[in-house]
Amino acid sequence: MIATLMAAALPPALAEVPMPVLVLAAGILILLLAIACRRSGPGGAGSETGAGTVAAALIAAATLGLAFAGLWSPPPPQAADMARLFAADAWFAYGAGLILLSSGGILAMSWRRMAGERADEAHLLLLLGTLGAIVVAGSANAVAFFVGLEILSLSLLGLIAYRPRLPDALEAAMKYLVLAGTSSAILLFGLALAYAETGDLRFTAPLAANPAEPALATAATLLVLTGLFFKLSAAPFHLWLADVLDGAPIPVAAFIAVVSKIALFVALARYFAMTDLTGTALPAQDLAVVAVLSMVGGNLLAFGQTNLKRLLAGSSIAHIGYLLVALLSAGPFGAGSAAFYLAAYAAATLGAFAALGAVPDHPDLASWRGMFHRRPAVALALSVMLASLAGIPPAVGFFAKAYIVAAGMSAHRMVLLTALIVSSIIGLCYYLNVARVMMTPAPEAAAPAGATLPGTTVLLGALALATLLVGLFPGPLVQRTTGLFLPAAPGGETAARSHDILYAGAPPPRPRLLR
Amino acid sequence: MMTLYGLVLLPLLGAAVAWLTGRASPRAPWPVAVATLVLLAALLAYITWAVPAGGGPWLAHVSAPWIPALGITLRCDMDGLSLVLLWLTVVLSFPCVLLASRDIADTPGTFHALLLATIAGVDGVFIATDLFLFFFFWELMLVPLYVLITVWGHEDRTRAAFKFFLFTQGSGLLMLLSILGLVFVHQHQTGILTFDYFALATTHLSPVLAMGLMLGFFVAFAVKLPVVPLHVWLPDTHTQAPTAASVLLAGVLLKTGGYGLIRFVVLLFPDAAARFAPVALALGALGILYGAWLSLVQDDIKRLIAYSSVSHLGFVLLGVFSASPLGMTGAVVQMVAHGLSTGALFVIAGALQDRLHTRDMRRMGGLWPALPHLSSVGLVFAIASLGLPGLGNFVGEFLVLLATWRISPPIAILGAAGLVLSALYALTMVGRAFLGPPPGDGWPALPDFGVRHMAVLGAAMALLLVLGLYPQPVLDLSLPAPLPHSALPWGPRP
Repeated sequence: MIATLMAAALPPALAEVPMPVLVLAAGILILLLAIACRRSGPGGAGSETGAGTVAAALIAAATLGLAFAGLWSPPPPQAADMARLFAADAWFAYGAGLILLSSGGILAMSWRRMAGERADEAHLLLLLGTLGAIVVAGSANAVAFFVGLEILSLSLLGLIAYRPRLPDALEAAMKYLVLAGTSSAILLFGLALAYAETGDLRFTAPLAANPAEPALATAATLLVLTGLFFKLSAAPFHLWLADVLDGAPIPVAAFIAVVSKIALFVALARYFAMTDLTGTALPAQDLAVVAVLSMVGGNLLAFGQTNLKRLLAGSSIAHIGYLLVALLSAGPFGAGSAAFYLAAYAAATLGAFAALGAVPDHPDLASWRGMFHRRPAVALALSVMLASLAGIPPAVGFFAKAYIVAAGMSAHRMVLLTALIVSSIIGLCYYLNVARVMMTPAPEAAAPAGATLPGTTVLLGALALATLLVGLFPGPLVQRTTGLFLPAAPGGETAARSHDILYAGAPPPRPRLLR
Repeated sequence: MMTLYGLVLLPLLGAAVAWLTGRASPRAPWPVAVATLVLLAALLAYITWAVPAGGGPWLAHVSAPWIPALGITLRCDMDGLSLVLLWLTVVLSFPCVLLASRDIADTPGTFHALLLATIAGVDGVFIATDLFLFFFFWELMLVPLYVLITVWGHEDRTRAAFKFFLFTQGSGLLMLLSILGLVFVHQHQTGILTFDYFALATTHLSPVLAMGLMLGFFVAFAVKLPVVPLHVWLPDTHTQAPTAASVLLAGVLLKTGGYGLIRFVVLLFPDAAARFAPVALALGALGILYGAWLSLVQDDIKRLIAYSSVSHLGFVLLGVFSASPLGMTGAVVQMVAHGLSTGALFVIAGALQDRLHTRDMRRMGGLWPALPHLSSVGLVFAIASLGLPGLGNFVGEFLVLLATWRISPPIAILGAAGLVLSALYALTMVGRAFLGPPPGDGWPALPDFGVRHMAVLGAAMALLLVLGLYPQPVLDLSLPAPLPHSALPWGPRP
């Protein structure tokens, strides 16, 4: 009811914007105001009381919760196809839900972590990053997409460098800045080329619209893909990820590995919603090559790591590869398995970072020796998460991986599946190695690790429970993830159907600008 | 019959209780594990007793939806083959817990929980008839065993456990591909997406496709059985595992491979299996000879027993692919007898290691006067394992060789040659460990087997004797239930 009231009260320009975006934007403004009020109040800028930080965190949590509730609000009235900024469909709702839940988890993880320094801005940047991620996930327009992406990247930059006293934070921020800038430029060039070719700004691969100059359209698609791959850190554009995750604080690393990747993968799937990815066209080939490189390369990168953050970076690259396999497996299971895998990946990666956060400042594997004796709960939780990432039952990753293999099998993606299986076996080696290290008896001198923050404990417990429960009973989530999104299958009929779902209304005639 | 689920849930419940009580007191988990096994035996006895007389080859059935969107159900069925192997699992769990795990000092709660979880997974493998559920249990039983070996194993445990996990999980992924291939071919033909074993058996497959899919299954089961080129994980794993895990591995885990070959290779792909039979028979004969040959030259007593397993399970491969009821029942009898005799041998080897702190037979010898009970039991199980008439192993090997002789005399001759070698290595083992001169100046006083060990191993001996003298009940049960629509290689069940 509140949502209806809000929708009625909105100026018409905002009526089209999905509710979570509005809620987040409002929350950010309130938080800004609260910070400004307190800083200008008695005590001045120096008064960083604990109460103030808690208030900021509470505002952030309330905003995320309301935004999550806003997902159930009635979809906004859709503008004409050309003018649409957002596609508030089921695919967006699912992706936004995952993003908001993950952001909530990251907020819980950083509840007290960032205290002791100025934590207000951290919460602000977290909300801003979430806003950017949701805009990226939901945008149907190239401009909206780009704006969202920049909000996401810039707030991430702030978050990475938030604690400049961390040894590698500034270096990581610089690396992220340079590469994010470069990839944004490439992406923007691709979007511009697509606009030049098709004359509209819809965020969709220009090849789908039968362009007059396929070469230009292909070039545009490849440039956009390259930009997206940079942000997704798919191999061979992955080199920044390990360094940045290593240098960033743990909640921020989790944000990069989970929220930002979910958003970009959702956008990538939407970009190709109308393109036939089953054939041997150049974008499909490009995606397939990147998928194989990411799976094998990511796992090989993680294989020799002695630093758990870098290990998770490699694992994250490999999982992007698995997701690309699902994306390339057009057919009844492709999108469903991708959606399911996104959830499994988000829960497991978030949980793994939370476990790292439970024993702060010990990212190197050697200091995790004997963790099963020293901190059995943390070790068990991390093992569950790694089992999920490795695809070992009863964790949810087992079913998720089997689902992707099923999707690939039904789409006859044998080469990709072979690569998936080979790289899964490589992956098994390093995930098991972590478990083994935690099981080996600790050296006597090893100090008992400090107490875990309550937010992290709750988050870890909830994620471990969810990972196991959904792994044992995947039925409801499978139900939820089917039919979210139908990527174009070969043949015109299905393509038309997915077109209808994504963009209600007939495609308008394309104005020809070049000619 | 919902009680079938109990076979999986009861050990899991016991595992949880054992783990929780283990946190309170290190002495509590052992009785919990024993109680769980007693209850499990009672449950299985009830299931056996409740089987309707003359109700056809499938003795029990239960089904519940699991993931309806993908046609995956929690379907379990039990036929005589499952029943025999379930009993083997329960029976062999007793020596594991009664003899080998009582003295675990390092977090006994976790140890017993993992042991019971492995048993739950194995039970699930033997009854699941939904292919995805089967695969779930197949992968599930590896995890606790991996941890058991990694934490409680011997000196080179991590490498061994790692090898074990990598081989079985890697081959499991091949099986997943085959399962999905079969499912989608079936869906393409009928429009129904299902993982149901009985529905999938009706799929019409081209010869090439059938061969490809069958090979995916075959590799997974061949790793587990093991078949010779894929056996490299086994000697290390069996040698390094703690005694209880060794018993479970050799006694039960390897049988899941044989069970899979019967249920999912020969019955699901009868034509492809028939065409593949010459290769399988050759691999079986190779395994018998190679395993026996390597057994002969081992100094490590657990390694010797491990290689002897490779040799004995070659007979299972021969029997399964002999395309006759005789060979099939022989293979099952061989699996049961091997489980009992090798399980007992691992108990004895583990006891030796506890007492002597070595598995090296060069540092043994002359143990008979020092450990008369242990040595005599060792002798009995060694000669059982070499196939002395009157004991179960003889029945199994004899039936398999008879069936093999009918289709390929040369293979049968090679298999029989393996029997000669098995006599050699079994007696060499007895001679080197228990007889001969002791090293140095005799043995100090060593604790011999007490009443508990003698009673449990005596029971195993009695079972082997019954199996050897009156195998008919097992023979009657152990022929797998045929699928209603696909003719078995030997036609309808008599």
